[in-house]
Amino acid sequence: MVRICRAAAVVILGAILVPFGLSGQNAPKLLSGTVTLSGAWALYPMAVKWAEEFKKLHPGVRIDVQAGGAGKGMADALTGMADFGMVSREINPEETKRGALAFAVTKDGVVATVSARNPLLREIMKRGVTQARFVAIWITGSAKTWGEALGGIPDAKAIHVFTRSDACGAAETWAAFLGKHQEDLGGVGVYGDPGLADAVRRDPLAIGFNNINFAYDPKTLRPVDGIAVVPIDLDGSGTIEPAEAVYATRDDITGAILRKIYPSPPARDLYLVSKGRPVRTAAAEFLRWVLTDGQRFVPETGYIPVGAEQLKKGLSSIK
Amino acid sequence: MRRFADIFARRSMRLSAAVPGLIVFLIFLALVGKSRTILGLKSFTGLLFGSGWHPLKGEFGFWPFISGTLWVTLAAMVLAVPISLLTAIYLSEYAPRSVRELAKPMIDLLAGIPSVVYGVWGVLIIVPFVGNVLAPAFGVTSSGYSVLAAGIVLAVMVFPTIIHVSLEVFASVPHALREASLALGATTWETVKHVVLRKGIQGIIAAVVLGLSRAFGETMAVLMVVGNVARSPRSIFDPGATLPSLLANNYGEMMSIPLYDSALMLAALVLFAVVLVFNIAARIFLVRIERRTE
Repeated sequence: MVRICRAAAVVILGAILVPFGLSGQNAPKLLSGTVTLSGAWALYPMAVKWAEEFKKLHPGVRIDVQAGGAGKGMADALTGMADFGMVSREINPEETKRGALAFAVTKDGVVATVSARNPLLREIMKRGVTQARFVAIWITGSAKTWGEALGGIPDAKAIHVFTRSDACGAAETWAAFLGKHQEDLGGVGVYGDPGLADAVRRDPLAIGFNNINFAYDPKTLRPVDGIAVVPIDLDGSGTIEPAEAVYATRDDITGAILRKIYPSPPARDLYLVSKGRPVRTAAAEFLRWVLTDGQRFVPETGYIPVGAEQLKKGLSSIK
Repeated sequence: MRRFADIFARRSMRLSAAVPGLIVFLIFLALVGKSRTILGLKSFTGLLFGSGWHPLKGEFGFWPFISGTLWVTLAAMVLAVPISLLTAIYLSEYAPRSVRELAKPMIDLLAGIPSVVYGVWGVLIIVPFVGNVLAPAFGVTSSGYSVLAAGIVLAVMVFPTIIHVSLEVFASVPHALREASLALGATTWETVKHVVLRKGIQGIIAAVVLGLSRAFGETMAVLMVVGNVARSPRSIFDPGATLPSLLANNYGEMMSIPLYDSALMLAALVLFAVVLVFNIAARIFLVRIERRTE
């Protein structure tokens, strides 16, 4: 009995002393606490990378990142469930009224995707799809076959149109490219970015859309196995000229977004949203780091840096 | 001191027993309170039976979701009720004891699987099966994301509820009745038909209604396979949307569009009311049986 008591005492004493020991080592700037992020799938890989790097600098901080769509991120931020909502679409006036404060942290884009087993894949790659035809596919529904979707070729195979079911930035941004909102997009709704990519992969006649970081493999930098990225026929010439062929690798597409060859939308800014200024030290420090040193990790993670102006604006509104 | 402990235990347990009931009541009140905003602006029947769902334009017609829920639930029950009842009859009346003892925990295990697992299974197996096998067999094209896929997944999910309750109902039918029937020269099937089923009909209805309310409210598994198209389905191969999937998909947009939160709360209230009515009905039937067997 005595021995057990003594052992317990040692353990308890240790538990009390160890944190003191640690705090003694880097006492001047020890951040602690938890920072929670929730929302857009589009920002998820970036946020995870930032969380990892930030934890290397501040081991005392825990960062929780959850993906669940931009809408959820916004709701969680506004209700105080999360420090930051990850939001991959423009902020609605209604949300600003409720106190949403958005910080542009990086950029990415949404691309149209088809299955790599699509029987017309070569034609799709050669001709591309114009914005007007995307409207016919997703909004009016007047393009019912692949022939009508591509224009000028006789093909009666039905086109299977997919969209996202959850309220999300990818769908809202894709709809904005077509001059509408998510609720106007036709097609079968699938939950989540990975879900939509999977549905498109398995259906040879499918067309869908994905965030760049779900359409491209982060290791090979090529489109994910089983998926092909649909080129947009920007000048409506009916063919994809070399200048428009910017889809081979992730670096090509992010470069095209940076040089503004790829239109915006579907390229868009990504935001961290907090309700008012972040008050908790750990959260504010994380955001400040993301807007400064954290920007280093943006290109290697597959995103496009936002302009220096926007970063500065963000920094000034933290204070 | 012991008396005091006794009184304290009784009081605290009474209090904690009141909590669940109170919570149901509080949820109901909160839903009513929140949905009053939209009910003050639009007519209730217009909302229930309107077919246009365009929140940004201020159109909130729930009919696509209500009809979608009814379609999916109906498809699930058409598949689940015969199979579950035959399973329950077999296990209760025909199967040797060892088979019954083995089958029961297996079936109950089905009830414990998280619904998202059913959803993944539905996406990987059932959706392609409906899209590539069943739809062509009926001469229609379908992506597979459909009312039927949701119905099949749901049917498997309500099996355990219906089988479990039916087994208990059959067990409550007195053995003497069966023996009397068999002694008169009836076969086992005739005994089942005229004695067990007739005696247990109310309990079977209760079992089905309990399964129904489970199917009605199921969210994640249905959301993953139903296709989420806000248009009333015209066939079981069409995609549809259900009230729970509406809530789960869009609760994030609540903050961004005026009236949206109120509309979603009304959808939740409708769902809540229907499931509550189903459950009360089932409870009434089950209580009647218990009284009779005592």
